[in-house]
Amino acid sequence: MTGLFSFLKRFAGNRAALLGAAVLSVILLAAILGPMLYAVDPFDMVGRPFQLPFGKYPLGTDVAGRDLLAGILRGARVSLMIATVATAGAMFCGLLVGAVSGYYGGAVDNVLMAVTDFFLTIPSFVLAVVVVAIFQPTITTVTAAIAVVSWPSVARLVRSEVIAQRDRDYVQACRALGMSNAEIMFLQILPNALPPVVVVASLMIATAILTESGLSFLGLADPNVVSWGYMIGVARSALRTAWWMTAIPGVAILITVLAINLVGEGLNDALNPRMRKR
Amino acid sequence: MKSASLGFVVRRLAQMVPVLLAIASLNFFLVHLAPGDAAEIIAGQSGHATPEFIAGLRHDFGLDRPLLQQFFIYVGRLLRFDLGYSAVQQVPVISLILDRLPATLLLMLTAITLSIVLGVVLGVASARMRGTWVDHAISVGALAFYAVPAFWLGLMLIVLFSIVLGVLPSGGMSEIGKAGTGLEHALDVLRHLILPAITMALFYLALYTRVMRTSMLEVLSLEYIIAARAKGLPESAIAWRHAVPNAILPIVTLAGLQFGHLLGGSILIETVFGWPGLGRLVFDALLQRDMSLLLGILFVSSVVVVLANLAVDLLYGFLDPRIVHK
Amino acid sequence: MNITTGVLRNLCIGSAMLLAMGAVHAAEPKHGGTLTYSYNPEPTALSTIATTAVPVALASTKIFESLLEYAGPSLEPRPGLAESWTVAKDHLTYTFKLRHNVKWHDGKLFTSADVKFSIEKIVTPLHSRGKVLFGNVSTIETPDPYTVVFKLAQPVPFFLKAFQPTEAPMFPKHAFEGVNVEDGKAVRGSPFMQKPIGTGPFRLKEWKKGEYLILERNPDYWKKGKPYLDQIVMRVIPDAAARSIALENGEIDLAPMSAIAAADIQRLGSLKNIVVNTQGNEGLGPNLWLEVNLRDKPLSDLLVRQAISYALNREKIVEVIWFGQGKPAVGPLVSGNPYFNKAIKPYEFNPARANELLDQAGYPRGANGVRFKLQQNVLPYGESWTRMAEYIKQDLSKVGIEVETQSLDLGGWLKKIYTDWDFGITSTFSHNYSDPSIGVQRTFVSTSIQKGSTFTNSMGYVNPKVDELFAQALIETDQAKRRKEFDDVQVILHGELPVIFLMEMAYTHLWNKRVHGLITNGISMYSNWDSVWVE
Repeated sequence: MTGLFSFLKRFAGNRAALLGAAVLSVILLAAILGPMLYAVDPFDMVGRPFQLPFGKYPLGTDVAGRDLLAGILRGARVSLMIATVATAGAMFCGLLVGAVSGYYGGAVDNVLMAVTDFFLTIPSFVLAVVVVAIFQPTITTVTAAIAVVSWPSVARLVRSEVIAQRDRDYVQACRALGMSNAEIMFLQILPNALPPVVVVASLMIATAILTESGLSFLGLADPNVVSWGYMIGVARSALRTAWWMTAIPGVAILITVLAINLVGEGLNDALNPRMRKR
Repeated sequence: MKSASLGFVVRRLAQMVPVLLAIASLNFFLVHLAPGDAAEIIAGQSGHATPEFIAGLRHDFGLDRPLLQQFFIYVGRLLRFDLGYSAVQQVPVISLILDRLPATLLLMLTAITLSIVLGVVLGVASARMRGTWVDHAISVGALAFYAVPAFWLGLMLIVLFSIVLGVLPSGGMSEIGKAGTGLEHALDVLRHLILPAITMALFYLALYTRVMRTSMLEVLSLEYIIAARAKGLPESAIAWRHAVPNAILPIVTLAGLQFGHLLGGSILIETVFGWPGLGRLVFDALLQRDMSLLLGILFVSSVVVVLANLAVDLLYGFLDPRIVHK
Repeated sequence: MNITTGVLRNLCIGSAMLLAMGAVHAAEPKHGGTLTYSYNPEPTALSTIATTAVPVALASTKIFESLLEYAGPSLEPRPGLAESWTVAKDHLTYTFKLRHNVKWHDGKLFTSADVKFSIEKIVTPLHSRGKVLFGNVSTIETPDPYTVVFKLAQPVPFFLKAFQPTEAPMFPKHAFEGVNVEDGKAVRGSPFMQKPIGTGPFRLKEWKKGEYLILERNPDYWKKGKPYLDQIVMRVIPDAAARSIALENGEIDLAPMSAIAAADIQRLGSLKNIVVNTQGNEGLGPNLWLEVNLRDKPLSDLLVRQAISYALNREKIVEVIWFGQGKPAVGPLVSGNPYFNKAIKPYEFNPARANELLDQAGYPRGANGVRFKLQQNVLPYGESWTRMAEYIKQDLSKVGIEVETQSLDLGGWLKKIYTDWDFGITSTFSHNYSDPSIGVQRTFVSTSIQKGSTFTNSMGYVNPKVDELFAQALIETDQAKRRKEFDDVQVILHGELPVIFLMEMAYTHLWNKRVHGLITNGISMYSNWDSVWVE
């Protein structure tokens, strides 16, 4: 409890991180409540295309006369969901592979790390593009593809943390107490190895948002839902006609990713006391 | 030391072979999960086509053989350093790749160099002036550029520099038909390189600046630096001669790891700027179901990534003499 | 301000039309200069034998010619490599007299042996439409080096339309010596395909894949004083926004065949140095429709298809989705086609009628307002197609049809629609080409229900009457009878809706005002551009 308290205190002492957390909360609120409070279908043609922001529609209309604010609000939900679920998936795989690999070592480690290396050797975005194109772009395949290219770095990190922990005295003590390998791995070692992983997870959400937008830009997006990347994809050919159409979702991505990064940094500082005085 | 390094390189290269073969095999089955093939694409793009016409194409391209047989042909070729023949373009895959590889490497290496050099300079400056407005400005800038989608930034830079200001070309690699002398041509390519290289570099510049700042702060608090200060050495000498060589190690590691990332990002940058590199080629090959070309590019990029990692390991040994490659 | 740009724009269009009719030239044609164009994707080959995809057709038609040239929107045959021709009374023998002293780009003479070789060995077996156009040729005789006689097994009423540069390009026989021409793979892989030799006004100078293609003036071209241009350059610009920018700041002169995104055309058209033109495509006649899988309920029900047809607003599709680049479609033939049936009227936008029809068909709304679900696929040819799919999903949901859109790339789409027949509705388009027997028949006759055959009868539509009418028109030499047959076919297809007709597409070309003489006939972009010139 005191650990949590001092963590919160350290985190709150970081003004940038607090700002990031505040901004992120607003974005999350907008994502959750926005589509209810502003109940416009983002795919409905409500008016003339290319209307400027702050006119009849708060953020103007897009290339097919659809309300951009409706798209931004609905897109927030989709973009954040894809990013979060993909990160969760990557974390799950990465933790599992990394922990098992680091804990057992030997042949298991060799095989698992060879697989990990395979994914690290193919340029990650290329792999994501290939996977999404092959299995056709839906919200599920996009999420899965981002997870598939993200987990290896988690696995690597977790493995090295686990290796650093596994020969410590407390692990030996657990063994002596007759705990099973799974218990030691997941209940004893992982919690100790977790802080850097949490930081990586927060940054990974930010990267996932960027990756999703990149895939959408190449036309690899689910046509049934609006995400921010999808909106940039729609807007980019009209870049010269209506630059704000590209700029608005771009700025939304920028602010969100920035906020997440600030929170991630705050977590890093708060979780790694060694660095906290910086 | 030297012979140890050589032995290390040879061993690493030998280890690469089975890894790359495994990668090539997995790639093969992955890409063949894609629906449709090159014959269908060609027929489709031609408008109407009869089943006989498509069957003829399939036969000509060897696509009518069982998948396993195609696989063994592919692996057999690979062992003879033969990447096969592009069905869609009707030329050897290797020549298509060699046509495009230099452009991608030029773009990537320029971006890496830019981002490392500037990242180190800014990171060091930021760390040395910790808490001042300079530090804050650099940190905020780095955070912002770390959060911008690169393709979006590229589009915005095109609007600014080639439309509003009209000072730089919007895309391509050289002025067509103006094949001047060596120097003239180089300057021309340089002009075309500026925007895509900057676009690509900014994200990594942001990353390296942040990492360098943190790493520098850490090193600056170590005892040997404090000892150097006590000896009365000038601050800049301490920073650049004593601290940087140690603080730069994480950057080197990162740069090696990021090589694949960079290669992936080049799909987006090359699309925005019409840069004639591998990134764009891989996407086109995928859309045209030009499987031998797609496999060829995936293979070559894996080789490039593995070589880059090897180079980083060697560089590491060079920068940090404590590491001896056994 | 608006008025001025409006006037300017009208002036642009006006002058383009005048040019198109060849009535007035702004100035005397001038020799020299370079025309730079851009189209995405870049060509994968330089011969339509490899593929007749747009980028290949654009580039290869400047290098290769066929026996005839064509004038006007309806493609009137004119002398080309053949100086003159005669058609026998029974429409079974066509005799072409070839022009003397026409040289290949390598300096050798063009003769009747080349014609026979090209049609027999290359075009008929390897071109994707070779069998359609030349399948009825029984023999080709070459009594002397400048005479070619085609003997047909049965009449081909559109035979004189077959000698277009994309459809029947001439190849030099001598360049294939040492190549086993019976083997398609050997022909496609032969060095010739990378270093083409034609008779056209331009020849290959340099091809840097991923960057550019340069064609240079053929100094020995058989038309004296032509071509005007020194060079044609194709620049690779994969991104649509970047293409617009390049046209805007003069880095490229021409963006043909809708290479500019529809959303950006209006803005570019308002610039004073850009011309927007939708002419010169009459010989292609692209027609956009929704193909409907007729194999399963509820789409097998005519009432449902009529309801869908009434539920969609064609004006909105044209004006909002395609920014006016087209017009509402009526039936299988576009209104510019010489056989277009003027008597039939388009389906109006009438959601109330659509709802009635769906009730009548026995698909009442469920508790959530949904009558049934439908899977929609999208032709992956760019953003406007995706926007249209989004619109269709919205408006069909308003009459109680819940649409799930699938986005596949071309490979996946072709397989799903034409090999697996696994779809509900899909957007697509089809070229009418110069004759309904070439372009329209293939979609609607039951013999083209063939798995794996692209852009054919994916719907599974079978109507013996339609089959019969197309079969008669295919060999009908009496013009009046042929017109009647096509009229009847159009009435049937309009009534039975095997596809939902949506829009006659317009290929839009944008060019810099310094370019002149581009619009010459119904296949202007696939013509050899020998009279195009730049200021």
